[in-house]
Amino acid sequence: MKTDISKMRNIGISAHIDSGKTTLTERILFYCKRIHSIHEVRGKDGVGATMDSMELEKERGITIASAATSVNWKGYDINIIDTPGHVDFTIEVERALRVLDGAVLVLCSVAGVQSQSITVDRQMKRYNVPRIAFVNKCDRTGADPVKVKNQLIEKLGHNAVMIQLPIGLEDKHEGIIDLVTMKAVYFRGPDGEDIEITEIPENLLEDAKEKHEEMLDAVSMFSDELMEAMMEENVTEDLIHDAIRKGTLSQELTPVCLGSAYKNKGVQTLLDATTRYLPDPTEIKNIALDLDNNEKEVLLESTEDKPNVALAFKLEDGQYGQLTYIRVYQGIIKKGSELYNTRSRRKFKVGRLIKMHSDHMEDITEANHGDIAALFGVDCASGDTFVQNGLNYSMTSMFVPAPVISLSIEPKDKKSADNMAKALNRFSKEDPTFRTFVDPESNQTIIQGMGELHLEVYVERMKREYAAEVEIGKPQVAYREAISTMAEFNYTHKKQSGGSGQYGRVAGFIEPLHEGDYEFVNKIKGGSIPTEYIPACDKGFKSSLAKGTLIGFPIVGVKVTINDGQSHSVDSSDMAFQIAAAGAFKDAYKRAKPIILEPIMKVAIEGPTEFQGNIFGSINQRRGIIISSADEGTFSSVDAEVPLSEMFGFSTTLRSLTQGKAEFSMEFLKYGKVPKGISEELIADYEEKQKKNAGK
Amino acid sequence: MVRSELNKRGPLRVFENSIHGGLGKGHIGVLASKKGVGKTACLVHIATDKLFRDRHVIHVSFSQKVDHIINWYEDIFKEIAKKRNLENAVDIHDEIIKNRVIMNFNSQGTTINQVVRSLKAMMTDGNFKADSIIVDGYNISDISQDDFNKLKTFIKKENIELWFSVSLVGENPVFNKMGIPEDLENRIDDLDVLITLKYEGNHVSLQVIKDHDVLEPKDMTLKLDPKTMLIVRNQ
Repeated sequence: MKTDISKMRNIGISAHIDSGKTTLTERILFYCKRIHSIHEVRGKDGVGATMDSMELEKERGITIASAATSVNWKGYDINIIDTPGHVDFTIEVERALRVLDGAVLVLCSVAGVQSQSITVDRQMKRYNVPRIAFVNKCDRTGADPVKVKNQLIEKLGHNAVMIQLPIGLEDKHEGIIDLVTMKAVYFRGPDGEDIEITEIPENLLEDAKEKHEEMLDAVSMFSDELMEAMMEENVTEDLIHDAIRKGTLSQELTPVCLGSAYKNKGVQTLLDATTRYLPDPTEIKNIALDLDNNEKEVLLESTEDKPNVALAFKLEDGQYGQLTYIRVYQGIIKKGSELYNTRSRRKFKVGRLIKMHSDHMEDITEANHGDIAALFGVDCASGDTFVQNGLNYSMTSMFVPAPVISLSIEPKDKKSADNMAKALNRFSKEDPTFRTFVDPESNQTIIQGMGELHLEVYVERMKREYAAEVEIGKPQVAYREAISTMAEFNYTHKKQSGGSGQYGRVAGFIEPLHEGDYEFVNKIKGGSIPTEYIPACDKGFKSSLAKGTLIGFPIVGVKVTINDGQSHSVDSSDMAFQIAAAGAFKDAYKRAKPIILEPIMKVAIEGPTEFQGNIFGSINQRRGIIISSADEGTFSSVDAEVPLSEMFGFSTTLRSLTQGKAEFSMEFLKYGKVPKGISEELIADYEEKQKKNAGK
Repeated sequence: MVRSELNKRGPLRVFENSIHGGLGKGHIGVLASKKGVGKTACLVHIATDKLFRDRHVIHVSFSQKVDHIINWYEDIFKEIAKKRNLENAVDIHDEIIKNRVIMNFNSQGTTINQVVRSLKAMMTDGNFKADSIIVDGYNISDISQDDFNKLKTFIKKENIELWFSVSLVGENPVFNKMGIPEDLENRIDDLDVLITLKYEGNHVSLQVIKDHDVLEPKDMTLKLDPKTMLIVRNQ
């Protein structure tokens, strides 16, 4: 059967934790007739929502992995990519965003736009994802969808326009008014599957008319036809839909839908809006990088007769081996055909090709351009690009931030040790921000990531999915060393007693570099160091940066200039100059007033205004700087910059300070100088450790 | 130019000299003009000058977005750094913004008591030792005498100088013969310093109306540079 691409949608449901995303997804699956009963997220019946495939997520009521699920709604094929809402899993969110064509931004009608919604929305903006908003939980006490719409405008800068109005709020929430058709929509039956469309109730008609006009004014900006029709007073529903669609695709308009997924209200109308207003795969520009042509950008064409280009965006360990989720951008991938992985430069054969419905799967014979599918048993890492017919493309390389925190882990027994190795191998393939290595000094296994919670989740997964029990060490911040002033060097490396000698002299200076980690400048005139040895000098300096002498962390921001030196016709060699450069650096580094840098996090906290003082205090106690606070009546938020080393255990502290009513998000901002007192402590600790190691 | 030199000379020293060495701690000053003349720019310049001199400043605003205020500070800092050819501008910037906090209130009808409550929380719980507070965009004629007295007690006790900006109503606000805007006549006794901003030809000039005990209009010989929005000498 041929797929009609114009009826394909790849959407993400993105939201803040607890705004009801998983429940909404569950309802969508239900109404699309793919699952037969509705389960609650926190599992009253112990089954749990279908999208949450991982145990841990079930327990915490949050969704971590971005599984893709295919559903069909009124003849439209919708692939739902479930995106995690927590900032600590940013890379997962970002990779999911890469493959989406549109998104539904779920917001809680009571809490509104929260700190993490802001982060997620910013990421969507970066990937140019058109969005529609769904104001959920209209049945809750304090529900106020208009307030939420205004927050979309004020806090996120959206041109948000309500295309629906609620019929009743809180416990009186019965249905919605469709402002396009100007009809009332009720959701009857035990699971809200029977839709009843009636006239708008008398008492709401006046307001609905007013909001209808407002909506028309806002959306007519995107369609001349609609504007003309408005003047001639022959506006049709299709003209309005078309205008909303244009505005949404250009990301200049965010239509706002509403309802309550939990109470089975407004989900079907949201699905209609999704298929109507969000783009099909051919309407999105996708760019690949041509690796044979200096990474030149190539525009991909969503057509079937072009060679395949696909991106592996997610790996999962299933019962039957590794499952690789792919997004096909170009061509049709057929079962049994051959693909080429441009990163590993290996060819492989497409074995089983499937479509996923949460934990159930369906075998398919081909995956169309624009579609999302999964492959079995392909050895690859996530982020890899698969191509065909001699193409050598890579999908736009994604920005992978360097890890800011590390943790030592130790298996409790032999069995755990084997399982731990398997788990670590898997995790580092799945998530580029998760890294692991064995520290040669302590012989401990170290895991690195983007935050405390990020690593905690992996430790939990090791235990649950791989039965690997591990002891964890104290979290360790990824410090850096840097120089704060210029220092000259003039260093001679000489070993001329017996055997073949070594000789090299390098002179010049090192100075702080504000942009970039390292720069090497050669200002040798008259060949005092022969040109052939210059790369060896560069290498010698560069290798010295790997480990600073203050606390053993990498050195960043150094510019090295060499302007003099000396060589020996017989005894000079690459090795001699490398050693000389390293010696020169070590010598100059001490005099360049080295300092320690630490990761500074951008922290956003919000909570009831009554706890404002406690929140201010919690930042102050953590060497934090309050950048701003915003008071919105009963709710307040605070933006601050706090060293990562002070943020350990912050969630617990915040919970106890605010009776669990405040929450926070954080992300890496920059490296900042460590204050003197703390710097001295770190140096003393390092020296102590060095002594111990020497004594061993 | 190095920072100490920048602090020694400049238009803000002229500003302070024309009000007896500055507003002074425990005192309340007002910058008044009709809308859109440049009060926020003036206040941000005054605040930035304090920051350059290692003072701690809280900027209270009633804007929709905090980013908007932060951008004002960034712009004014950049203009000063450029104009005075400041050395180590990046480092100085990073250092001084640590001493600045922006507190934004965007709910309608925030009372001055709520603002003071938040300020107290910032200064005690947040341990932020403010020297100056800038309140931009609050209608001080809405404050009852009782609440104004409480405010005065608070800033005296905490030893803070407080600047308000006041938007005068209408296109052509009325001033009495002493130069006091009509909107502020009933408040003048509560204020230590009152400065007005007025269009004079093609520029905005600054005038002292009240200078502590002296109630007499006086030109400050300062104006707002229309390009950079900085306070500059009017030569």
